[in-house]
Amino acid sequence: MKLRPVLGATIGGAIVLAFLPLACHNQYLMHVAVIAFIFAALTASWNLVGGYGGMFTFGHQAFFGLGAYTAALLAINLGWSPYAGIFAGGMFATIAGIIIGVPVLRLRGAPYISIATLAFAEVVRIIADNLTKLTHGETGLVGIPTLPSFALPGIGQVTFSLADSRPYYYVSLMALVAVLVIVGLLLSTRVGLALGAIRDSPEAAESLGVALTTYKVLIFLTSSFIAGCIGGLYAFVVSVLTPSTVLSVEIMVQIIAMALIGGLGTFFGPVLGALILTVGLELLRAFSDWQLVIYGALLVVVVIALPGGLISLPKRITEIAGRIVSAPKSRPAADSVAISNRFEQEKP
Amino acid sequence: MNIGQLVIDGLVAGAMYAIMASGLSLVWGTVGILNFAHGEFYMIGGYALYFTLVELNANPLLAVIAAVLVTFGIGAFVEMGVLRWLLNRREWELPTLVATLGLSVFLQNLALRSFGATDKSVPYLFHSVYHVGRVTIASQRVAIVAVAVIAFALLWGAMRFTRFGIGLRATAQDRDAATLMGIDVKKIYLLAFAISAALAALAATMLSPIFSINPWMGARPLLKAIVVVVLGGMGSIEGAIIGGFGLGIIESIGVALVSSEWEDVIAFGLLILTLWLKPSGLFGTREA
Repeated sequence: MKLRPVLGATIGGAIVLAFLPLACHNQYLMHVAVIAFIFAALTASWNLVGGYGGMFTFGHQAFFGLGAYTAALLAINLGWSPYAGIFAGGMFATIAGIIIGVPVLRLRGAPYISIATLAFAEVVRIIADNLTKLTHGETGLVGIPTLPSFALPGIGQVTFSLADSRPYYYVSLMALVAVLVIVGLLLSTRVGLALGAIRDSPEAAESLGVALTTYKVLIFLTSSFIAGCIGGLYAFVVSVLTPSTVLSVEIMVQIIAMALIGGLGTFFGPVLGALILTVGLELLRAFSDWQLVIYGALLVVVVIALPGGLISLPKRITEIAGRIVSAPKSRPAADSVAISNRFEQEKP
Repeated sequence: MNIGQLVIDGLVAGAMYAIMASGLSLVWGTVGILNFAHGEFYMIGGYALYFTLVELNANPLLAVIAAVLVTFGIGAFVEMGVLRWLLNRREWELPTLVATLGLSVFLQNLALRSFGATDKSVPYLFHSVYHVGRVTIASQRVAIVAVAVIAFALLWGAMRFTRFGIGLRATAQDRDAATLMGIDVKKIYLLAFAISAALAALAATMLSPIFSINPWMGARPLLKAIVVVVLGGMGSIEGAIIGGFGLGIIESIGVALVSSEWEDVIAFGLLILTLWLKPSGLFGTREA
C-alpha cells in the first residue's frame, strides 16, 4: 500500500471535519460524532486483523473493555493521569492479546479463531461482572475524572466537561487520525506486503519464507494495543463503565457491521462504515429501537449483494453501467473478469 | 454434596446440549458453516411452542410437533434465501459466518420488537415427580432425556441407512466427488440446514417449560453447543452426544464446587483448552 495518498486523504478529511464544530452548535450531534470517531478508530484497529490479516476474531471487545477499565481504575484508585492511563490500558490489552493470541492464531479454520476469541472475551466479561469490589459490576463504575484541562496558545484554556462536547470532538478526531496513521504506516512496510501474501495464500506465502505466525501475532498485538487505548479514551468520554456497555458481544457485532458494510480489508471502508452507521442511524431516531434489526439485515444484504462494502459501490456502479453499455459486444470470460477484479482490489 | 443428584441434573442439561450441538455439528460438518443463528432457531422453536400451546391451547404433543415443523420450514427458507447465494463463491467461509451472525442479530431483535422483552412461560408438559433414594427427578426432565435419546436414535439411523444420510456423509467428505456421483448437493444442504433448525426447536420445546421464553433465550444454548462441538469434534454426531452429556455433568459438578456465576467460565475454559491442546476435538478427524 502506498502511504502518501492514504495519509493525504486522512489528513485532508480530518481538516474538513475539524471545521464542523464551528458550524454546528448542537451538543448532542457533537457527542454522536465523538462516539462515531471512537468506533471508527476501533473498527479500523479490528480491520487490521479481520480485514488485512484475514483472521476473523470475535473478541475485540475484550481489548476495548480491558483498556477502558484499566484506564478508569488507574485514574480513580491511583490518581494516574488519564493520558498515562490510556497508554496503560493499551499495554494491558496487549498483554491480554499475548495470552489469547499466541495459542489461538495457530488455528487455521475461520470459525475456530472466531469462537476461541469469543470465548476469551466472554470470560473477561464474566470476570468483570463478578469482580464487583473492583468494577462495581452492572451497577457501573463511576467517579471517572474528565481529561485534564490545558491551555492552547491562541485558543486559551481548554476544559473537558460533560456539558461541552467540542474538546472531546477534537481529541477523538485526533485519536482517529493517529490510529489511521499507525495503520497506514504499518501497512506501507513489509508487513503490509506479507499480510497481502498471507491473505491470498497462506501456504504459498509460508513456502516463500513469510513467517506466518510472527506477522499474525504482530498485527494482532498492534490491533489489541490500539483497541485498548481507544477503550481508555472511551472511559473518559462516557465517564461511566459497565461490563455490558464496553465488554458485550454487541460491541463486536457493531464493529463487524461497520467494517463489513463500509468495506472489509480496505483502508477507509471501516471508517466510512462507522461514520455512516453511527450518524445515519442517529439521524433516523424514529427507528432507534430497530437499530440492531437494521444492523443485522444490512449485514446479510451487504454480504450477499455488495461483498466489497459501500466503498466498492462507485466501482460496482461503473462496472454494471459498463456492462450494460457494452452488452451487445462479446464480454470477457467470467473468469478473467474475476481475476482482473482481484488485481484491482490489491491496489490501494 | 449429593453426587447422584448432580449427575442426574448434568445428564438432563447434557441431553439438551447434545441435541443443540448435533444440529450445529450437522451443518458445520457437511456444509462447513458455523451457524451463529442456531440459537435463534431454538428461540423460534420456543415462541412457536408458546403460541401453539398457550395462545391456541393446542394439545401438547401437537404443539411440539408444530413448533418443530415451523422451525424446519424457517430453516429451509433461510438456507434458500441467504446461504445458498454465498456457498458458490470462492471465498465463502467468512461471508457465511457474517451472514449467520447478521441473521442472528436480525432475528433476535425482530423477536424483541415483535414479542417484547418480557419472559413468556409455558406449563410443564408432564407433572409427576419421582424420588429414587436421595435423588429427585421431575418427569419433565425424564422426558427430556427420553426425547433426546429417541432423537439421537432417529438421527443416527437416518445418517447411516437413508439415501439422504449417505449422501450427506458423502458430501461432507468431498462435495465435488459427491456431485459427480449424482448426489444433489443443493438438496442435501437444504435438508441438513432444515433438520438442524428442527433439532434446535426440539430442544427448545423440551426446555421452555423449565426456562422462560425470551428473545435472548438462544444465546446460551448456542454458546454451549459450540463448546460441545469443539469438544466432541466437528461433524461428529457421536462426539456431539458424548461431549454434550460430558459438558452437562462437568458443569453440574463444577457449579456445585464454585458458584453458578462461573458456570460459563467452566465451559469457555474447556473450549479454549481443547482448541489449545487438541484442536480436532475428542472424536473429530479434521484439523482446526
